[in-house]
Amino acid sequence: MPYMGVSVMAVETDYYAVLGVSRSATAQEIQKAYHALARRLHSEAAQDATLAEQFRRVQEAYEVLNDPEKRLEYDRQQAGGKLAEGPAIDLQVTLSHRSLPCLDEEQMLYAMIEITPSPHIEMRRLLLNLCLVLDRSTSMQGLRLQRVKEATHYIIDYLDDEAILSIVTFSDRAEVVLSGQRLEDRVRIKALVSAIRSSGGTEIFQGLQAGLIELERVRSPEMVNHLILLTDGQTYGDEEKCLLAADRASRHQIGISTMGIGQDWNDKLLDEIALRSGGTSAYIDSAAKVTSFFRDKVHSLVNVFARELRYTLEFGEGVRLKDSFLVSPYIARLQEREGGFHLGQLSADTPTVILLECLISPKLPGLHRLFQLELVGDVPVLGRQSERIKREVEVNFAPTRELEETVPPRIVSALGKLAIFKMQEKTMSDLERGQVEQASQRLETMATRLLNIGELELAKSALLEAGRLARSGHLSPEGRKKIRYGTRSLSLLPKEVRGD
Amino acid sequence: MIKCPSCQKKHPPNTLFCDECGTYLAAEADKRTDPLATGQVDWLEEDQNLVVTSVESRTDRTMTLKLLIRDSGRLVEFPLVKEINIGRLDAASATFPDLDLTVDGGLEKGVSRRHARITQEGTDLFIEDLGSVNGTLVNGKRLTPYLPHPLQSGDEIRLGEMVLRVSIV
Repeated sequence: MPYMGVSVMAVETDYYAVLGVSRSATAQEIQKAYHALARRLHSEAAQDATLAEQFRRVQEAYEVLNDPEKRLEYDRQQAGGKLAEGPAIDLQVTLSHRSLPCLDEEQMLYAMIEITPSPHIEMRRLLLNLCLVLDRSTSMQGLRLQRVKEATHYIIDYLDDEAILSIVTFSDRAEVVLSGQRLEDRVRIKALVSAIRSSGGTEIFQGLQAGLIELERVRSPEMVNHLILLTDGQTYGDEEKCLLAADRASRHQIGISTMGIGQDWNDKLLDEIALRSGGTSAYIDSAAKVTSFFRDKVHSLVNVFARELRYTLEFGEGVRLKDSFLVSPYIARLQEREGGFHLGQLSADTPTVILLECLISPKLPGLHRLFQLELVGDVPVLGRQSERIKREVEVNFAPTRELEETVPPRIVSALGKLAIFKMQEKTMSDLERGQVEQASQRLETMATRLLNIGELELAKSALLEAGRLARSGHLSPEGRKKIRYGTRSLSLLPKEVRGD
Repeated sequence: MIKCPSCQKKHPPNTLFCDECGTYLAAEADKRTDPLATGQVDWLEEDQNLVVTSVESRTDRTMTLKLLIRDSGRLVEFPLVKEINIGRLDAASATFPDLDLTVDGGLEKGVSRRHARITQEGTDLFIEDLGSVNGTLVNGKRLTPYLPHPLQSGDEIRLGEMVLRVSIV
């Protein structure tokens, strides 16, 4: 079977090693490495047969790695040969108590689940197919639009050569500023962005529609297909169409991330669009921060390791779920939908962390099953679909509380932030029910908790809004957004705070 | 059921934070976990009649470290059976030091939550600054953070503006 032999040989040659680059090298790095090697080898190869052979292999490696499609195919073959057995995703479960006392009443147990890429798998970036959909309505005039242009210029410089970018602007209609393409002439593309002028109203659907068409033209399941929508205004009358567009995007594996700037945009609509399509939503409180929001978003997109991540739980007898939350990369309440609890994407450099609150009925001493967790997700980097990881979790019951156990600090710290997030949720629902006084008191307490963990700016906003609420009966649109989005992004990472 | 001390809402046992008002509910339980940290707080009229808060040592051989907190006059004793963490208790960040200086005005005097640590090697004691904001001084000499420094009877430790007098028995 000579053919088989050849094929295996081809797979075994490590093209990355031949060029001396890492598996996560960008196209530029590969080109640079190739040019350096070629220059050196070319002149000497004529005299030396070994060098000639080496030169041939460098050529071969470059031909494959320099072509995004061939490179992906090559990576997949390699992955199939080397890494097919091991799980691509790591799962670590930590309980608040390893042992519970036997009580005659129901008790609480917290489980923290940390999801990270398996350390033995080398990360390679996926191709990015990105569309920026930018609001250019009259209200964006001046500094705001200027900052958005600067942020877009930044992204044009930030993206790799092989990334595909399209840019759409919208007011009450949409224009395609840049049709989806590789960034070959960055100067010309920047000039196109500079020429954007503001005028007209805000119809988000128009922009979404045009952006999705751009993405769909080039999209493939091997790419990260994403739309970033930035707006400063309420959309009029097309909310339902926007949500349908988000559903369509989700079916086509296109994520939509929404960013609201200023105070007049509809946060519920933008949150829902992001939720339905598997993107994120953010509040940009100052035009000066647009660039950092764009950069962080694009950074997380090019670092996608797994996506369509979801989990299901099967509980042991007498165990029920009170609530479950995402606590990293941001805080969100998780709700069961079709196919389980959906987590979106796993980034290569930020773990996804879940916190489960379980209630357990009285038990006899001994080991008891808490739950079985099954995590499912696609790992496009390895060309794997629906990778599954199962974990059985048990908890011990002891006749009496034998030794006082310390709760792992990670869990205490995550729960502390979660407690603040929950107070925010309660404040908003108090307000919806018209319980202004209760909401105002809650905001004050929340401000104290925020001060305790060193979130000074957010604490100030909460205190300010508590006062406003007591006086006028409602929150300012700006304060409301600050508190909603601020509590959501209470970072899990330790933060240098206060005098400590 | 356990009851939230601040809003009175009831929760199942082992709940760590009150859903209603965000209060940390395990604070009491966690204080009890560490016998070294429970020294009752006794205030003095004048520093002549020291009230000693002591924890019984397990063996006769164990050395005892006594720390006199100058400004509050509180004297604490630790049997040297494990390292001693000094700082301020803060449940929200899960900091539970063995010697909590909150009641002695630690916050005002610039004591960090994780300020310093005393360790033992054989019969020698060492003190180490844990990267505190205001630093640790022994007999007026500022310690390099995370570098253990020998500690002897009669030494004066300064944490921010808080002064402690050491005696080892």
